[in-house]
Amino acid sequence: MNVSIAAQSPPIISLQNARFSYEGGVEALRGVSLNVARGENVAIVGGNGSGKTTLAKHLNGLLKPSSGKVLIGGEETSTTSVATLARTVGYVFQNPDYQLFCTSVSEEVRFGPKNMGFGHDDESALAERALKLMGISHLREQSPVSLSLGDRRKVAIASVLATSPRVLVLDEPTTGLDSVESAQLMATLGVLRSEGMTIVLITHDMRLVAQHMDRVIVMSEGRIAFDAGVEEAFSDPDRLKRCKLLAPPITVLAQRLQAQGLLTEGATTPLQLVEQLVRVRGEQQ
Amino acid sequence: MMRAFELTKTTVTYQGSDFPALNDVSIGADEGEIVLLLGSNNAGKSTFCRLLNGLVPKSTPAQIDGKVEVLGRDANRTSVARLATMVGMVFQEPENQLFCMSVEEEVAFGPENVAIPRAEIIARVEWALEAVGLTGYNARSPSNLSGGEKQRLAIAAALSMRPRLLVLDEPAYALDPTGRVDLYALLRDLRERYGMTILIAERDAEEMAELCDRMILLRNGRVVADGAPNAVLSGIDEVVAAGVSPPQIAHLSSLLADRFPGKTRPFFTTDDAEKEIADLVRATGSDAP
Amino acid sequence: MTRFEDLYTEADTFLHRLDPRVKMASVLMLSLLAIIMSALTYLLVLLTFIFVLLLLARSSYRKTTFAMKFVLRFMALIAILWPLFDPSGTPVLIRLGPVVITEPGIWRGLASAARVGCLATVWYILIFTTSQRDLVRGLVKLGLRFDFGLALAIALRYFPTFGTVMDSIIDAQRSRGMEFEKGNIFVRARKYVAVLGPAIVSALKTADMLALALQSRAYGARRNRTYLRELNMRPSDYVALVAALAMFIVPAIAKYAFSIPI
Repeated sequence: MNVSIAAQSPPIISLQNARFSYEGGVEALRGVSLNVARGENVAIVGGNGSGKTTLAKHLNGLLKPSSGKVLIGGEETSTTSVATLARTVGYVFQNPDYQLFCTSVSEEVRFGPKNMGFGHDDESALAERALKLMGISHLREQSPVSLSLGDRRKVAIASVLATSPRVLVLDEPTTGLDSVESAQLMATLGVLRSEGMTIVLITHDMRLVAQHMDRVIVMSEGRIAFDAGVEEAFSDPDRLKRCKLLAPPITVLAQRLQAQGLLTEGATTPLQLVEQLVRVRGEQQ
Repeated sequence: MMRAFELTKTTVTYQGSDFPALNDVSIGADEGEIVLLLGSNNAGKSTFCRLLNGLVPKSTPAQIDGKVEVLGRDANRTSVARLATMVGMVFQEPENQLFCMSVEEEVAFGPENVAIPRAEIIARVEWALEAVGLTGYNARSPSNLSGGEKQRLAIAAALSMRPRLLVLDEPAYALDPTGRVDLYALLRDLRERYGMTILIAERDAEEMAELCDRMILLRNGRVVADGAPNAVLSGIDEVVAAGVSPPQIAHLSSLLADRFPGKTRPFFTTDDAEKEIADLVRATGSDAP
Repeated sequence: MTRFEDLYTEADTFLHRLDPRVKMASVLMLSLLAIIMSALTYLLVLLTFIFVLLLLARSSYRKTTFAMKFVLRFMALIAILWPLFDPSGTPVLIRLGPVVITEPGIWRGLASAARVGCLATVWYILIFTTSQRDLVRGLVKLGLRFDFGLALAIALRYFPTFGTVMDSIIDAQRSRGMEFEKGNIFVRARKYVAVLGPAIVSALKTADMLALALQSRAYGARRNRTYLRELNMRPSDYVALVAALAMFIVPAIAKYAFSIPI
């Protein structure tokens, strides 16, 4: 259902043969073309130095392409300020410490909307909504610096959400989190997604990608090595390895079982695989 | 054989904290073992690591009850500098532990501090760089290395002290998936070649079973499981409850055992999983009522 | 990125090969020489000599132009402004109300510009041809305490890292709609709180971790540590040192003992 809507409306993010070189000559993007439709859930993955963060920084105009085009919500980023683009795309940095500076969480979360000139009432409403979405309303009066890494991440995301963007770009949001914190965070992203948010996730954790994302863009040496649905992206372990990535064990196992005709569809979590087996055995009986 | 480390009823409470970071921990390891210390954030992994080279309590003040022995010495009565020659320490982020302007100075820094003669330092630098696969990198600047190379350099900088125990606190933190695999292959190699004892703190158990000889599971400062990897991973509920990401295959094994009691044997590798599941599905016809 | 870049360029010239202590001493001698000289002709000779050294240093074109653009602008500024503030002597060339410009003023302005050019360029040559670690090593060998040397080395080592962190923080705040270019100077200054706060927090965290890393590698274990790299004076180093000393001492004697104007 989403697909048909996506096909009709213009993409919210569009890169056309974008190239980018850092000062000093390293070419970090070597001709990248892609479209992201509204409401899509996209992972950008790749080894260290593959160009994934450079690509992500093009999505809100922090970097502008040296040649080629980047269009965000139909506007070309090279002629639009970051502040304007920030209304469409929220960007969450990997290290929340780079972002947090206010003395209280609520102040921190209001900082973005204040910059964008929302009125005081809107500011409060937006901040409250963002705090609630991230499940950190109770931390409102706390100082961000005193919080755990997991909570600082949530504050950082809330402070970006408060500017009510339509796209959320997250750079390795689960790095440093343990499994409980990371599961919580991904569940929250699921909620955002169900409310129509477009999510671009940069990560090293392929298990998260398999479980939570629809589409995978694999970067390697500044180019898109491949761009595919999750099932297909993880179907060729050698191709992944060449891009310094590893397929999650359950995904690999499910694909092997499918090849043997023992399963009818793939699985991305142990529980999914078990449920399928229960079904298979039920049908056989 | 000497014990690499031995904690006896050890409780660590940081100054200004009401709760112990480690609580009544009694555990040790033989020399030559690779031990994986698993736990969520705040489970006490870093405290455990830093106890072994004296940073806790000498750098971070804390009340220590019980005994901490490292390679036969009482850690509380040994200086950090002395412990540094016996225990090599590698931290999470390479950027924060590589402070020299060239690779060789980085590796030589430790031996220089304990006044090793120059000729011996040169030999050690070459040896340590060879051990981590960075031969010929001597004059390079650490800040221009890739993430994986940086972490290997951090290991070489610890190795040059010729420690018998190597402690790594989440060493794969900044690495990509294959970088992580390469790092762990290097650690196994170090054990095979030099018989070093290696303690690694991690919060993700995926692909760790083949790496280590033993897993210790920490939860809220207490040891809740300790044993061979497969033994610890068989109690997957304990692993999950401790906030550690369980290996997916081991997790599947335990879920299948719950759902189909007595129908599958425990498995820990993808190959074994494939066989067990094939048997399970194909056996359906015969065991149907 | 240039802001935080190390200006050193690796190459194998005689300037690179010189012992850092000799290089520092020579740079000091040439600087003193530029300071005691006042005749434009001699200063121009010295400046030409230093520019030849600069060419011999074979520094990267990009780094050289980056540094020399700055030096040349500064020289031009001095040459233009000096006569305005030093109107002594005759003949008077221009008299415009309070503004008086004399011919000797112009010559002195040019001489001062040449002197500043000598001073700046000669120190740049030191930095172009000596790696930071050799500089620090040289200073320690000249008697700087090892702790201070290490602190200096760490400061130099983390300078670019800190620059990258600052860039990331600025990017993070821009991503939340902050526009650093907007507003008057006070408004803008206040905006930098959003950068300095996080910058200080990350610097402190890095310092914390560094302290642990240093201790874990037996920092401060013994008063007499050994060194992987020792500095050894070679014959060419002595030759260079003697030449540099002579370049200062001979003109100094000429000027102060024999009152020869240089």
